[in-house]
Amino acid sequence: MMKNRVLMVLLGVSLFAATGRAQQPQKTVTGRVTGDDGTPVPYVTVIVKGTNVGTQTNTEGRYYLRAQEGQVLQFRTIGFAQEERPVTTADVVNVQLRRVATKLDEVVVTALGQTEAVRAIGTAQQTVRGTDIAQAQRVNFVNALQGRVAGVQVNSTSGVPGASTSITIRGTSSISSSNQPLFIIDGLPMDNKTLNTSVLASDAPGSGSAFNNRGVDFTNRAADINPDDIESLTVLKGPEASALYGIDAANGAIVITTKRGRVGGGLEYNNAFSVATPRGKPELQRVYGPSAVGSTTYLYFGAPYPAGTRFYDNIDGFFRTAFTQKHNLAFSGAATDNRINYRISSGLTREEGVIPNSQLNRINLTGASGVQVVNWLRADLTMNYSYTTNSQALKGFNGPLIGLMVWPQTDNARDYLSPAGTRRRITNLSTASEVDNPYFSVNKNHNDTKNNRLIANLGLLFNPVSWGNLKTNIGVDTYTNETEVLRHPESALGATYNGVLDRADDITRSINAQTVLNFNDHPLFGGLSIGGFLGNGISDYKSSVDAMKGQDFLDPNFVSVNNTTLRLPRTTLSQRRLLSAFGSATANYNSYLYVTVTGRNDWTSTIPRPRNSFFYPSVSSSFVFSDAFPTVGRFMTGKLRAAYAEVGKDARPYADRPALEFKTTSYGGFGYGFTGPNPDLKPEFARSYEFGTELSFLHDRLGVDATVYHKQTSDQIVNDIRGSYGTGFVLFNLNGARTRNTGLELMLRGTPITGPVFSWDVVANFDRSRGKVLSLPRHLPESYVSDTWLFGNVRNGNMPGLSTESLTGMFYLRNNQGRLLIDPTTGLPLRSSTFINRGYDRHPDFTLGLTNTFRYSKLSLNVLLDFRKGGDVFNATDQYLTARGLTMRTLDRNTPRVIPGVIRDGNENTDHPTVNNIVVVPSQQTNYYTAISEELFIEKDINWVRLKDVTLSYTLPDRYVKNASVFVTGTDLFLITNYTGLDPIVNGNSAAVGGSGGAGIDFGNFPTPRTFAFGLRFGL
Amino acid sequence: MVFSACSDYLDVNTNPNGPQSVSANLYLPPMLHWMVTSPQYDGRFVGRYTQQWTLPGTSLSTWDRMGYDPGSDNGGQQWRDVYWSFGQNLVDMNTKAQAQQRWDLLGVGQVLKAWGWQVLTDLHGEIIIKEATDPTRTAFDYDPQKFAYEEVQRLLNQAIVNLGRTDGLVDQTYLARGDHIYNGDRSKWLKYAYGLLAINMSHYTDRPSLYNPDSVIKLVDKSFTSNADDALLAYPATNNDDMNFWGPTRDNITNYRQTQFVVNLMNGTDFGVVDPRMSRMLAPAPDSQYRGLDPNVVGFGALTASQRPNNFYGYPTLPPSGAPSRYLFANKTKMPAMTYAELQFIKAEAAFRKGDKVTALAAYRNGVSAHIDFVNARNLDDNQAVTQISAAEKAAFLASPQIIPTDPNLLTLTQIMSQKYIALWAWGHNELWMDMRRFHYTDVDPATANQVYPGFRIPTALYPDNGGLPVYRIRPRYNSEYVWNFAALQAIGADKANYHTKPLWIIDPSQP
Repeated sequence: MMKNRVLMVLLGVSLFAATGRAQQPQKTVTGRVTGDDGTPVPYVTVIVKGTNVGTQTNTEGRYYLRAQEGQVLQFRTIGFAQEERPVTTADVVNVQLRRVATKLDEVVVTALGQTEAVRAIGTAQQTVRGTDIAQAQRVNFVNALQGRVAGVQVNSTSGVPGASTSITIRGTSSISSSNQPLFIIDGLPMDNKTLNTSVLASDAPGSGSAFNNRGVDFTNRAADINPDDIESLTVLKGPEASALYGIDAANGAIVITTKRGRVGGGLEYNNAFSVATPRGKPELQRVYGPSAVGSTTYLYFGAPYPAGTRFYDNIDGFFRTAFTQKHNLAFSGAATDNRINYRISSGLTREEGVIPNSQLNRINLTGASGVQVVNWLRADLTMNYSYTTNSQALKGFNGPLIGLMVWPQTDNARDYLSPAGTRRRITNLSTASEVDNPYFSVNKNHNDTKNNRLIANLGLLFNPVSWGNLKTNIGVDTYTNETEVLRHPESALGATYNGVLDRADDITRSINAQTVLNFNDHPLFGGLSIGGFLGNGISDYKSSVDAMKGQDFLDPNFVSVNNTTLRLPRTTLSQRRLLSAFGSATANYNSYLYVTVTGRNDWTSTIPRPRNSFFYPSVSSSFVFSDAFPTVGRFMTGKLRAAYAEVGKDARPYADRPALEFKTTSYGGFGYGFTGPNPDLKPEFARSYEFGTELSFLHDRLGVDATVYHKQTSDQIVNDIRGSYGTGFVLFNLNGARTRNTGLELMLRGTPITGPVFSWDVVANFDRSRGKVLSLPRHLPESYVSDTWLFGNVRNGNMPGLSTESLTGMFYLRNNQGRLLIDPTTGLPLRSSTFINRGYDRHPDFTLGLTNTFRYSKLSLNVLLDFRKGGDVFNATDQYLTARGLTMRTLDRNTPRVIPGVIRDGNENTDHPTVNNIVVVPSQQTNYYTAISEELFIEKDINWVRLKDVTLSYTLPDRYVKNASVFVTGTDLFLITNYTGLDPIVNGNSAAVGGSGGAGIDFGNFPTPRTFAFGLRFGL
Repeated sequence: MVFSACSDYLDVNTNPNGPQSVSANLYLPPMLHWMVTSPQYDGRFVGRYTQQWTLPGTSLSTWDRMGYDPGSDNGGQQWRDVYWSFGQNLVDMNTKAQAQQRWDLLGVGQVLKAWGWQVLTDLHGEIIIKEATDPTRTAFDYDPQKFAYEEVQRLLNQAIVNLGRTDGLVDQTYLARGDHIYNGDRSKWLKYAYGLLAINMSHYTDRPSLYNPDSVIKLVDKSFTSNADDALLAYPATNNDDMNFWGPTRDNITNYRQTQFVVNLMNGTDFGVVDPRMSRMLAPAPDSQYRGLDPNVVGFGALTASQRPNNFYGYPTLPPSGAPSRYLFANKTKMPAMTYAELQFIKAEAAFRKGDKVTALAAYRNGVSAHIDFVNARNLDDNQAVTQISAAEKAAFLASPQIIPTDPNLLTLTQIMSQKYIALWAWGHNELWMDMRRFHYTDVDPATANQVYPGFRIPTALYPDNGGLPVYRIRPRYNSEYVWNFAALQAIGADKANYHTKPLWIIDPSQP
């Protein structure tokens, strides 16, 4: 079927080509582009007007191009007015560009790999240069985006190498599904999956050893891309900008363009060597010793330690200084007429984590080549291979940090093995109950993955006619991800099963084809012209996971399923196919007023017919009022934007009909899974509008880009929402949620100082957004993602009227005046027995990314500060330690106190409630700590200022090599926050979890370490 | 043409990971597994209400105080399995069996349905029956217990008819594919149906107008005739889920310890004779003495390490994998759903109440004798670390007049119910708790002025929400009902803090 589609497309193309008119002879045109001051201007886009034939000027401002007499060359680049020159008999066309105070003529990537001048775009989007991303020295480039784009929130799960990172644009709108944007690389979708533990054999329904996306983390696969291969990255923020990408781009899109060879390329090499050290550690009390063996290890409510007790600093000694090195080598170039260009590059990354035995190694090999086959056909091929190996420590409660903190400080944790070489024990708890020594945990348990990935993309551009062209891309993104998670037979995690070894091989492949027929801007009358395109797309995603679990090890230290006596295999297949047809038309009036109308229809495999076919339109407009009113344009440039879009979204595969599962209970057999049927499943729709303006003043030294938006999702599909078991099932996939997202994005840029020797640029990205749940399916009171219920009784409960990032829990009961209700028998506050709302919201009030760039001669300094105001963080680690008498807040345990509140005696809601006067001494009544509500550990309104990255670089003279520089970069060097834990950027789950996920739930999480890097780059 | 091609292209949404429908007998194994195993999950908690065991810790556990865990699904396993593990699967199986005239399988399905309502109503009182298994509903009304009991009778009477049929596609081989309890033998399922009906009818003792001891005796007589009829599930123990829930590998009972109450029933304190089963069922302390814990005392109280009773596997902590265990606490021990001994005690009680002491004594003796054999059989299932009760030990015990009176008129309710308690200990939680509730835990036998359950004490520090009352029911499963079907809970008063102390209809003649 797939092949047939491709054939049809190619056939159509050749018919189309045959109808083209006879060609004029082409010739090579060359020239030099200079600025007002006569200096060469590099990277000017030179295209043959009305075609996609084009090139860029090299560092000397020279260009080479094939064109015909009578055609017109367009010269466009950032900061200069666009110029046009006809091709005449002359072979050399030199151009002097006039610097103007506008960014509006910058050419940027828009939906579906189309390019457009900023002035024509009626939607919010923002572009980050690849060099800025690479310069941040993040192994996972997604982490470099925080603060660089207004409205983008990046949340790394932890500071362990290979930790997954989630990215959301304009906040959380989906209650249960992914809120992450679509990733596009060179025009086609790229998989950014974080492996969900639900495919592991250990997470088979009914298994007692499930991970539930808490105990382990896997990389989000976009991290396979080498940051050094990125030319530019454009963020299409709302459905308005991304509507043409369809149902997977309802949360926006990240559009990556990779580097290509240019005339005058050559060899480029760069490296970086970095050192990472952990930032901060929890403070533990050293006054009171152990009292009893609790459920996992000692409780510290005992007598004070005797004077002279020897303490071991188990935490400090545990972490290591981690070294990372990166090397990138690329060769690139192009024929002088740009008929052929190529770039081949290789990257090598070896990253160590501060936790022993954690590391990530990556090899990237990429090739990109383009060739003008004949005058009317251009072919382009990119291949991106990556091989990534990753070793992470286990995470959260399974991870070493919990053991590190509750381990007796009077015992040397480093000494983790018995003389017999087995796990050294310190309590008489069973092997499964005593918390793992952190050293044992990181040396004996492991989470290793290997990922082999190839992304290939073949593009063909046919332009035999003057009125348009036809562009077709076919690509495959395929990887094999081998995961191995070991819970050692002697570890607390594995003891119950005498060891658990999980292996899973995920073969994911996604094939995408897309064909676009472009109609060039065609003049009509009176300054009005119209252009547009029609296209179709085919997408086929398939994942096959072969998983197996081995339990009951024979030899405790030989890691192989062959060494286990209980083995359970499991296969999980998932497939989604999508067909789409789309079109766009843009009316242009005098290049200052643009109206674009788009429409797209999708046919998806995951919704029952006929509801699987759905159409959605968008309309956007851009008005460059400073061009329309030249009197205004003398003082400023300015543009107004307005856009409206709808976008549909389908369900996950197999969501409408329940399937029987093979049951692993006695003698097998079949039974339904948790999820019930929903034959009425239909697509959900988001309706969104936005208004914006882009202004610049003082010859572009001051710029503003502001957007307000409003998005409402209706008929939202909530996966795995609960119902009464009276249904015969536990979970349902139901339409019927409504959420609303509103916000303001503000980008300010300024150049306070500019000059040949010294300059200073500032860019500020401000974001204020709100997400609210308006209703839930079937009027159910609450929906939550069960993986987020990971500590105590707090979870990401969504209730109508609350933020989409709220937390619900079994919080304290209060009377009608809001005073705590006190248990008359204990003097302690009473807790709700159901999940209730107390107004906790993890969403920040606003965020601000501030980039300052200073240049002094050949020295440049780039500083990115990340500010956040507000948003709650649940410090479960603190609660866990408090319940064990380990935190400093338990030091006043002997102080008698009365908890302010009223006694629950029947009078609590009257005018004269009984005020509590029951004295509690926590040291005598340790459930003061052990039964404490999570509410006291949800830290409200967490703010921070974080030095995300700072780079100082020095450009070396071009004496022996070119483009040479040396640099030092620091990442996460400081953090100023009112959060009492280690780092408020946390995720109790991984990026695999949908909805608002476990972001802002801190349980045993390792923060991002402080990293200092240096390196050099040069070219030949 | 393009559109039909597109349709085919998009036709990939049939779940490849599992079938939509299977042969009727393939639905059966998981349901039979849960019929036997699910009561053990809840037995962790019911076992504390009934003081079969206690969970020592740094404070008294909620269940040891006849309370519950708010916001938790603890005590809701049978709720889950009846509504979900059975649920649509049982509907589909019975529909297919009926259509294919597989009367034997249909009969087994009806027995399962009846079993589900029986155990659920005994645990929870009012339950959802009429509106159950409807995926399109969003609210489910609760049906009264009276109806639940009648529905069980109706279903079992249908099952008895179907299990008696030999026409249609009745096929032992086909049934045996899914039935690893009786290997497809419908005559044994017929006996099981009679036994379950006897259990149902025997619960009406507090409602004299509805209690008919003659029919209970008649039903028991049509049911199991020896231990060979016991409904036993053998666990294959090839993975976590098909292993005995009480086995050391499952690690579910490791921290629990036997109570003084159960030790006193067997060590001579209550009956003057040391029960030979004590050392084959209960766990000694490291000093070899058999002691039990007082659920009113935190942790192990004053006991030294060597005096603390071992766990039920016979070790102070979780033993290494493969170490031999004891009685029902081994990975591969067969677990019963119903036993001959259990039914004989039911017959004994009915005959006793009827005044037929001769029949009562004979049934009672059968029960004690059969359970001794049962203990021996179970301790051979998985190479347990205890010796067999010798014929001489058994004979000596049965000859003790404190245990088996020689004069039928000396038989007491205390003896019948205590021996039944021992026979049900560690597996028959639903019936055992029903028994204790029928006697309101501490009822006195008017004939002897002694407690029916000698020495049983209601916990002194009851759970705060109880308002000083003992527990009579478990709340409906939290994550099924307390958020998602709350209006229906309010209608039956299950939103009240002390709902779990409200007596069941079956034991409370004051309720209409």
